[in-house]
Amino acid sequence: MAEVVMDPITRIEGHLGARMETKDITTSTGTWTIVDKAYSLTNLFRGWEIILKGRDPRDAFFITQRICGVCPAPHGETAIQALDHAYGVTPPPAAVLMRNILHGAYYVYDHMIHTYLLIGPELGVLAKYPPMVPPALGKKGIKALGLGSSYAACIEMQRKVNRVVALWGGKFPHHTSEYPGGMTVKPTLDRIANTLSAMTELWDFVVNVMVPDLMAIVSKNDHIAETVSSLLDIDFNGLQDLGQTYGNFLSFGLFPDYNDYDKWVRVQDGEEGYRENALIRAGAWDGSPKKFTHKKIREYVKYSRYDDSATGLHPSEGVTKPVKDKPGAYAWMKAPRYDGKVYEVGPLARMINTFGLKWKIDVTNPVNGKSFTFEWNVLNPKGSVIDRVAARVAQTLLFATKTMEWAIELKQFMHDDIVNAKIPDYSYVPDNAEGMGLWDAPRGALLHYTKIRNKKIDNYQCIVPSTWNLGPRDDMDQPGPVEKALEGTWLPKLDVPTIANALYPEKDIDASAFGLGTVSWGDALAVALTPLGLVQLNMEGEYNTTLAITIVRSFDPCIACGVHFMIK
Amino acid sequence: MELKPKLTRRNFMKLAAMMGATAFLTTYKSEIVKAVSEVKDYWHINWLNGAACTGCTISFAQASEPDLVQILTEITVGTSGLPIALPDYMETIHPASGSLAERLKDERWAQGTPGRRVLIVEGAVQEEGYCTIAGKDFRDHLKEAGEVADAVIAVGQCATYGGIPAAKPNPTGAMGVSEFFKEVGINKPVINIPLCPVHPDHLVLTIAAVMIGATPDLDEYGRPKAFFGKNMHDEICPYRPYYDRGIFTRRPGEEGCRYVMGCKGPITKTDCALRKWNMHISYCVETNMCIGCSEPGWPDKFSPFYKPVASLPAVLGVDFGTLGQGLLGAAAAGIVIHGVKRAVTSGKKEEKEE
Repeated sequence: MAEVVMDPITRIEGHLGARMETKDITTSTGTWTIVDKAYSLTNLFRGWEIILKGRDPRDAFFITQRICGVCPAPHGETAIQALDHAYGVTPPPAAVLMRNILHGAYYVYDHMIHTYLLIGPELGVLAKYPPMVPPALGKKGIKALGLGSSYAACIEMQRKVNRVVALWGGKFPHHTSEYPGGMTVKPTLDRIANTLSAMTELWDFVVNVMVPDLMAIVSKNDHIAETVSSLLDIDFNGLQDLGQTYGNFLSFGLFPDYNDYDKWVRVQDGEEGYRENALIRAGAWDGSPKKFTHKKIREYVKYSRYDDSATGLHPSEGVTKPVKDKPGAYAWMKAPRYDGKVYEVGPLARMINTFGLKWKIDVTNPVNGKSFTFEWNVLNPKGSVIDRVAARVAQTLLFATKTMEWAIELKQFMHDDIVNAKIPDYSYVPDNAEGMGLWDAPRGALLHYTKIRNKKIDNYQCIVPSTWNLGPRDDMDQPGPVEKALEGTWLPKLDVPTIANALYPEKDIDASAFGLGTVSWGDALAVALTPLGLVQLNMEGEYNTTLAITIVRSFDPCIACGVHFMIK
Repeated sequence: MELKPKLTRRNFMKLAAMMGATAFLTTYKSEIVKAVSEVKDYWHINWLNGAACTGCTISFAQASEPDLVQILTEITVGTSGLPIALPDYMETIHPASGSLAERLKDERWAQGTPGRRVLIVEGAVQEEGYCTIAGKDFRDHLKEAGEVADAVIAVGQCATYGGIPAAKPNPTGAMGVSEFFKEVGINKPVINIPLCPVHPDHLVLTIAAVMIGATPDLDEYGRPKAFFGKNMHDEICPYRPYYDRGIFTRRPGEEGCRYVMGCKGPITKTDCALRKWNMHISYCVETNMCIGCSEPGWPDKFSPFYKPVASLPAVLGVDFGTLGQGLLGAAAAGIVIHGVKRAVTSGKKEEKEE
């Protein structure tokens, strides 16, 4: 057994490492090293909930957004929904629509940036697909080899979609416009028109670049599967065999129906439900759909750096003390479990809970009337790298379209009073109340719980997506989703250009612009990587961790998000 | 007719201040790119994240004129084809992970050309044990990097003044980079670019300034005066006419000055109202209010965010007391910027602010 450590894992949010214990398997073609057990190391603690205690409850909207600068908007939204709940107010339709528009645009940004900047480079290399490999050779590389053309386009498009977030939220990251019971911003024709124009451009990008890029990756899947299978003499089906978890998927739901908001709130009240009138449904899929209730959530700390007395508690009862040097603990994240079982959260969980295992996303751009259909059959019902990427692409398309539809629907509310009469003015805070917000961040299910006493925060708790996915083993010794997903992953003893040449030996890339003539894919990559000192990319000692690190990235880890301290 | 004044090292930041950085970036884009390109050696950038949320990295990705791709690909060293400022180390976007990432930091950055190493820090510095990267405490990473850096830029509220991680009761002993440097005896100036998150224009201009040797003029908190020399409320707020006429927003959605709802513009120095965010489309006050994230002591000195600042600044030389009485009844009186003393509603009771 060897021990292979990846730390830091880059192209994610925050400070994450993974320790992997290996084992060898022998086939007719040789002896190969795979991951036996994996440990997710979460390496940052800031103490957000301690800081929130004693503050004005409304400050939580601003402060919890700063939990994560990649996904601030969902924290703001969830904090506000917890306050709506505590205030006992129903936001009017115009406010729900504006929130949906703001967050719809935000999701498009987030899924795009993950697809291209974070996980894209490895997929582009594995699939011999230059547009998704970063533009390491500059403009000349983009022009001559097509290296990074989608990557570069994504940077431009995510900036444009964030203009929409800023229109409704003031700025991004960290918007300002939500308030218990509604929004502080008005629906104006100017905002609506800007939204429609920007989102139409985005919609075209998704349809003409993002979906084709996904399909280009998928089209190489059989080739990857066959090559690896024959090289290793194993039965390897391709990207759907990378990163499978338990087949349990949890979603809290997204984008409520603006005409029927009270139904949305019932799950916050503790009822079991699907939130079926929302665009993305709540649910706890374990092979078939199950209703969701927050009452089944518990957090465990056996391997987390917190005092053991606090293990197995519902968020509303959380009492935890950090213990920096706790023996046996290897994580700052806790291990949340649903009904005692390990659940994966995130885009794939949302898609499966909403659409099952076969998705058909039929959309029409309401501005120009263009139609598009995206279809996907889940390749691995227990989850995989490629299914997670496909789920992001599907949602980018769906949310980009819905954002436009909501913007058009908002026109009918432009003359209504968007101020909820239950909130007299900015000076009102309830004396004593509690509330729960349940939303989904791009990376998965997000819960905020707030308890107000004497107009101040008495207790504030977040259970965030990355604790579900990246958390450590629990008290029952069940590995977390990422730990499970890494088991069985091949750690080749070859560098990236060599692997690329093994997968694609043909010399068919014109690198004459770089004085090289026609070269193979691996050699072309070596040209791009060498001046940057990156030929040894993903090598940890003799082991190449490209596949392992791609699995970890497929969960879109967010470490700042996942680590905090709860106090009652 | 030449409308643009000549861009020189000497007047780089001065011009940026004079024109407003947005106009400056647009007008001088090609000159900035050209000036920086003339620097014939690779510039080494080491972007470290401590107790951060990565919001500053994401904000940097919103940069335009030049944008991130231009920064990463077009501004190249001579004919090498290599981007002049592709970070040797930057966790959120870097191709390398794990031991290679750490090795590149040692080999390329730490041993890079003296005089050309820029350290950018995002996130606060905590006591030992709360943030480890590659098995080593963030404090050690920062100390090592700080010792060899030729220029240090702290971005965002956390790296400059501690930010939310350092808010009461500061459970992890978080602080900004300058304070940490003092503690460990690194005697180097830190350019502080606060706001939560950093504004991409501020960062792009500061990096460009450092590269062409135009040292930004800093205020007492280490902030470039070009960006943080103006009081939001007194000098640049578009809602100021409402304030002067006593029209205040009291309920969500109303038109008016945001002072009564708790806007911190009167005690905040930043150019957000001129520059705006996300390709200059909007900023906080357009959709809600300023929460003061450019200032040392944020958030504690500025929260509760929805509580009005304790006093009104003088308006156009008019006696603030009279004006305050006139506009707000007994709401507030007295000029207090950065809390010297504050007069509370009774008009008699006074209490010290920090």
